[in-house]
Amino acid sequence: MDNEKIVRKEHVKNLIFQIAPIVGLLLLFGLFMAFAVIKDINIPYSMKNIINQSVIVVVVATGAIFIYTLGSFDISLGANMCVSALIGAMAYNRTGSLAVMIGTCILTAVLIALVCSVLASVFNLPVFVTTIAMLSLLNAAVLMLIGANGTGDIIQVPAEAVSAINTVWFKLIIMLVYLGICIFVFNFLKLGRQEKFAGGNPECARLTGLNNSKLAIIAFIMAGIGVGLGAFLTITYAPTLSRNTASSVGMDVIISIVFGGMPVSGGARSKIYSAVVGALSMTLLSQIMLMLNLNSGISQMVKAIIFILVVFISMSDGRKSILPR
Amino acid sequence: MRTIVEIKNMSKRFGSTIALSNVSIEAYEGEILGLIGENGSGKSTVTSIYAGMQKCDKGEMLFEGKPWSPTSMNDALKHGVGMIVQENGTVPGISVAENIYLGEISEYKKGLFIDRKSLMADSQKALDDIGAEHIKAEMVTGALDFQDRKLVEIAKVMVNDPKVLVVDETTTALSQKGRDIIYSIMNKMKNEGKTVIFISHDLDEIMNVCDRLTVLRDGNIIRTFLKVEFEENAIKTSMIGRELQGNYYRDDYGDEVKGKAVLKADNLNKGNQLVNFSFELHEGEILGVGGLSHCGMHTLGKVLFGAEGVESGEFTIRGEHVKSIADAMKKQVGYVAKDRDTESLNLDASIKDNIAIAGLDKFAVNNMLILPSRENKYVNAQIEQLSIKCSGANQYVSALSGGNKQKVAFGKWLGRDSEILILDCPTRGVDIGVKQAMYQLMYKMRQEGKSILLISEEMAELIGMSDRILVMKDGELKKELYRSKELSEADVIQYMI
Repeated sequence: MDNEKIVRKEHVKNLIFQIAPIVGLLLLFGLFMAFAVIKDINIPYSMKNIINQSVIVVVVATGAIFIYTLGSFDISLGANMCVSALIGAMAYNRTGSLAVMIGTCILTAVLIALVCSVLASVFNLPVFVTTIAMLSLLNAAVLMLIGANGTGDIIQVPAEAVSAINTVWFKLIIMLVYLGICIFVFNFLKLGRQEKFAGGNPECARLTGLNNSKLAIIAFIMAGIGVGLGAFLTITYAPTLSRNTASSVGMDVIISIVFGGMPVSGGARSKIYSAVVGALSMTLLSQIMLMLNLNSGISQMVKAIIFILVVFISMSDGRKSILPR
Repeated sequence: MRTIVEIKNMSKRFGSTIALSNVSIEAYEGEILGLIGENGSGKSTVTSIYAGMQKCDKGEMLFEGKPWSPTSMNDALKHGVGMIVQENGTVPGISVAENIYLGEISEYKKGLFIDRKSLMADSQKALDDIGAEHIKAEMVTGALDFQDRKLVEIAKVMVNDPKVLVVDETTTALSQKGRDIIYSIMNKMKNEGKTVIFISHDLDEIMNVCDRLTVLRDGNIIRTFLKVEFEENAIKTSMIGRELQGNYYRDDYGDEVKGKAVLKADNLNKGNQLVNFSFELHEGEILGVGGLSHCGMHTLGKVLFGAEGVESGEFTIRGEHVKSIADAMKKQVGYVAKDRDTESLNLDASIKDNIAIAGLDKFAVNNMLILPSRENKYVNAQIEQLSIKCSGANQYVSALSGGNKQKVAFGKWLGRDSEILILDCPTRGVDIGVKQAMYQLMYKMRQEGKSILLISEEMAELIGMSDRILVMKDGELKKELYRSKELSEADVIQYMI
């Protein structure tokens, strides 16, 4: 085999690793369509459901890519989203303004993310350590907020207040705008390039003049914006909020990002599209399992197995370091 | 003599790169066999396969006449083949003793617990036996410097009393004392009828130490020299496949440096690494800094780049203080670290990523927006200027040979047109072809009026390239020597020790 052929083979191998998540998504979509036809399921209604479910995970996961790129992760994303949604709902109930509600959601989520990253920076701790502490604090905050301001175990926004914006198109527009901004920042701004480089080797990044703490803080702000938007979309989709709101989002985001082809170790191979592909794939998978009348326990088990398989395969692609920082 | 190591028709590929092509090597009992070749020639690959680090694609291996296929480095070591690797092979977060007995801790089990007393005692003995008494078995490995971590690795291998020892480029990381330890181990093994395979880029060293010398190039065996056939130019020609053109080091003498001082350090103090250290670096000057590994010269490089602070004293670049690394970069200072793979490069990123990251402010529109065309132009210029052997700018740095990795590390700083370059052991682990290219580049930069602080543990390099040499000992400036034809290694060494 001559050298040119070997180079081509190597190129093809890399390409396969890159497009495998997209092929996986297409396969799942094919399966979904096949089962929908066989089981005579209302496809437009199911598609609407899929979009409703996946949009929130796509938005939150897209922001979270900035954190994962640094080789870290945030376990408190779901709790942050719950608190932000609760405070956003309370703000709406006080003012009656949707603009105030979305602003409050984003501001709250960004502030929480900021506290997390600044604390890690001040105490020189790995960021995921502070997110673990933040998870406890936020869970306590959820109980306090509902206890002090809720009716029974819930905080509610009048359904008619959000019915006008509870449309697939509105959610898609929010998702696409945020996605576009993130893609631009990630791929075409100096900041995105620095985030990817620092994720691969923080010490080398430091010795190239990059400020790792500052980059971590910015990554958390970007993720915070996504969480805030996710909180807002959650209210529009389900205006009755409880302590269980967004409880599975944190895990869904992790699984989606990995399933979408994002290396767990972060770094230069990170891609924004991982969030979109992964979130859509996971939602399709859930929908397929629902069609097969599998209960949610089995569904979670299948996701867990897929998660381990994907991490295993990605490690065999030469991504050795999978521990978070 | 009995053949101990036999490698027959070994081939190995890494993706598109042919690392070994039908390589056959034999090593006998009671000999030190040298392996030499340019970066990427296959030396480390063939020995690492024999030592159980990886598998070959094709070929046969024998050890003492029997088929040999170790499943891991530990397996190879247990059965008599040990290897000391080029880069760091210790686990930083555990004690020295645990590193020495890594994988064998269970032998120290006493019920549910580990007999730490025996573990520590045996480990300390292992360290003492190789002459590294200054390292204590209970110390955390991460707290040791690069040289001492290397000595821990040597102790780890030697405690298993191997019949075959592979020493892969280890001496480049060691001071003279460390090198002496390795030489004494190698000679002891030879005298006991054991076998040593020694890989080094240092031709003088390898010619002194080895009984035979095998030259590899591009994954092929080129020639094996017997001791009586050792001749520097013949070996160099075999290594690079042509005669070295031009000078190795610069050959000008008496060319006085007249440029103004661009970097001034005044009474720098930092523990025992820098003690009242003052000097000036001028425009168009190569200023060498030499000393033993612990003398503080590596700390000096980091301090001047703003990566580490000092307890007292100050330094200025063109009259201005340096507040941080980013500030040093703004003042056109570049820094190539000694520890290339962890400090200078992001191995899991492409050549493009590595070169571009230091120059974002040079090609990004409004210091913010990255246009692919401008980025590619910037990166490709460095690839061409430095003749980096690669399949393209998007190739991952981890797939490059040592010399080409070092070129990428240079490219980071050349691309942003650094006026002052701090080079910490810039030719460590680099073959003579790349070395010569780097020396020529350094000289060219000097002629362009740029300033280079050359920190090096290689005397010949310091003497051959520097306009002045600052000799350090225990953080102090012991002597300032000027470029001269008469300057010898002995002249420099006497102030180091």
